[in-house]
Amino acid sequence: MKLPYERRKALYGYGFISIWLVGTILWFLIPLVESFCYCFMNNDTLKPNVGGMNKEWLPFKDGQWLTNFKYAFRVDPKFKQYLLTVLKDTLYQTPMILIFSLFIAVILNQKFKGRGFARAIFFLPVIIATGPVYNIINGNIASTGADSGAQFSTLFETDMVDKLLEFLGVMNISDNLSEIINTVTTNIFGLVWSSGIQILIFLAALQNIPVSAKEAASMEGATAWEYFWKITLPYVSPMILANFIYTVIDSFTKTDNAVMGLVLEKQSDWNYAYAAAMAWSYFAIVMVVVGIIVAFVNRFIFYEVD
Amino acid sequence: MENEKNLTPEVPENQTADEIVNEISDAVDAEIAAERVSASDPDHPVASYIPESAKPDVIEEHVVGEGMTKKEAMKIRMKNMNKSEIAYLRRKRIFEKTWPVFRFLILFGLAFVILTPLLFMLSYGFRERQDMNDPTVIWIPRHLTMKIMKQTINAMSLNASENNPLVNTLVLNIGCSFCQVITCAITGYGFARFKFKGRNLLFGIVILMILVPTQIISIPLYMTFRFFLFGQVNLIDKMLVMYLPALMANGIRAGLMIFIFRQFFRGLPKELEDAAYLDGCGPFKTFVKVMVPNAGSSFLTVFLFSIVWYWNDFYVTSSFFTNKKTISLQLKNLDGLLNIAIFNNANANISAREKIVWFEAACLISITPMLILYACLQKHFTEGIERSGLVG
Repeated sequence: MKLPYERRKALYGYGFISIWLVGTILWFLIPLVESFCYCFMNNDTLKPNVGGMNKEWLPFKDGQWLTNFKYAFRVDPKFKQYLLTVLKDTLYQTPMILIFSLFIAVILNQKFKGRGFARAIFFLPVIIATGPVYNIINGNIASTGADSGAQFSTLFETDMVDKLLEFLGVMNISDNLSEIINTVTTNIFGLVWSSGIQILIFLAALQNIPVSAKEAASMEGATAWEYFWKITLPYVSPMILANFIYTVIDSFTKTDNAVMGLVLEKQSDWNYAYAAAMAWSYFAIVMVVVGIIVAFVNRFIFYEVD
Repeated sequence: MENEKNLTPEVPENQTADEIVNEISDAVDAEIAAERVSASDPDHPVASYIPESAKPDVIEEHVVGEGMTKKEAMKIRMKNMNKSEIAYLRRKRIFEKTWPVFRFLILFGLAFVILTPLLFMLSYGFRERQDMNDPTVIWIPRHLTMKIMKQTINAMSLNASENNPLVNTLVLNIGCSFCQVITCAITGYGFARFKFKGRNLLFGIVILMILVPTQIISIPLYMTFRFFLFGQVNLIDKMLVMYLPALMANGIRAGLMIFIFRQFFRGLPKELEDAAYLDGCGPFKTFVKVMVPNAGSSFLTVFLFSIVWYWNDFYVTSSFFTNKKTISLQLKNLDGLLNIAIFNNANANISAREKIVWFEAACLISITPMLILYACLQKHFTEGIERSGLVG
């Protein structure tokens, strides 16, 4: 019997993804569902046993099935606090990383001597920052006396901005602004080290800007500033969204993030149900926040349709 | 030359002048000359679009027309411009002169931030520990030594004959990356080029794989491996724990890799497959014979990233390995290892500040292979992503 071409192609499609499908069911979906079930199990009895996990569901009455979540949000002293700090940090660090990496990508896209070398240096964090080395150098830089990385950032850290704004009489803005500037400058190490991939993606997007757009802009006498706002930004805007999602996901799955640290701590204390409840509520909250922002940002994005 | 003229803004006078080229005097020559000057200037916006062969010789630039210098030519050219044009040119010239300075300062400062830790490692890894307490020593050590390096290698048991972390890491890294790249490519191709029921739903799972942090599924996964095949086999501490998921496109960051491959294969022209089909190739043969050779650089990029991710991973390995050692695990547990090997000695008496020497040495040891790989294949790391179609 001969199947029509389209049907046969569909079958081949299943064939191509079958390896992944089996693997995903075994190593991803089943553990995922199981971990979700842990949220609704009795924390005291959820322990590894001979032949598997000793599972016992929480009774479904009087809201008892939510015990683990109640523990996470009401009893645990750290969870809510960590959650808020991590959310706040992510929300203001992400735009900073995006702006910074776009800026660097624009610079690295220009023609100058030693560009290859500069690119090599700026992508260096890509190969180091995901590993344990980063934790060590990060810690060391903060704890040694001769921390030139931090010293470097203190160059900008003098109160000049504050003084200027005070002089201009804008006291209230001054506090907030200098706080932001302070966090930017003291954080420059983390900023530079966590934007490797983002720079890479932006650079690729910049190189995809058609030559005709550049030509037209220079014919019309656009300044570099106008060129950036009218040409560069619209063309890279889809990648801004992609980078945004990447940055958020990256920062919230990091093991050195406070909530994840707490989850791991609970896991190593055998409190698997609490850990699962915390991890899942954290995951859900982050997803909701990302979803809202993506839906909002999507309206301002320019997609080139040929 | 004709081409260039059409590209520049102040064309009108030029074109008329061109037609009556015979009676034209110095003015037009000067304009053309000025044109040439600007075109041979590499920073001029027009210059970058002119092919190398079309550019005029640079030698002509100083004396042009009938003994006219560049300055005089420019002057005549300026006469034809209105105020805003002149202002624009002036602003542009100022910007072009000052920007490289600022650019250098910015790049230098930030490159310094990135390179500082590496310089730290180089400077601290090869010094005696008493140099840490010497206030006169900042970057250049007073006592150069390999002793610390050797001690660190001992402590990390990199010279052990069995269960050697380096060998383990290499076996894991190269094997898993290889399996994972192949299976992810096959999956990505399936998602890119075949229409089947539930494709969007299944691709949603791929996205979910990218989003869900490993920490969420690590405990159930541990139980799966601990009681594999209904409790018959204990896979914990076996290499298979890492190999099995990688073989089925579910290793470290597999979702991202499938996504990259799907984007890449979607960018290849459809005609390739149609041609192969007409020539009697089945889909799998098409994939191996037609698509894979085209995806060479994409494969290399993903493979390199996969190696880096496996090399750096300590979370997944630490969940599944109890006795097996890998380099990043050793680095993670370095404090304990150093305590056992060196610091517990009653005569040692080492301060926290002095310990940094060993830590930096260990960091240097563990990133050196990656640095060498990066230095040799830097192009594929950075340019591969652009070609792999992640963008667009």
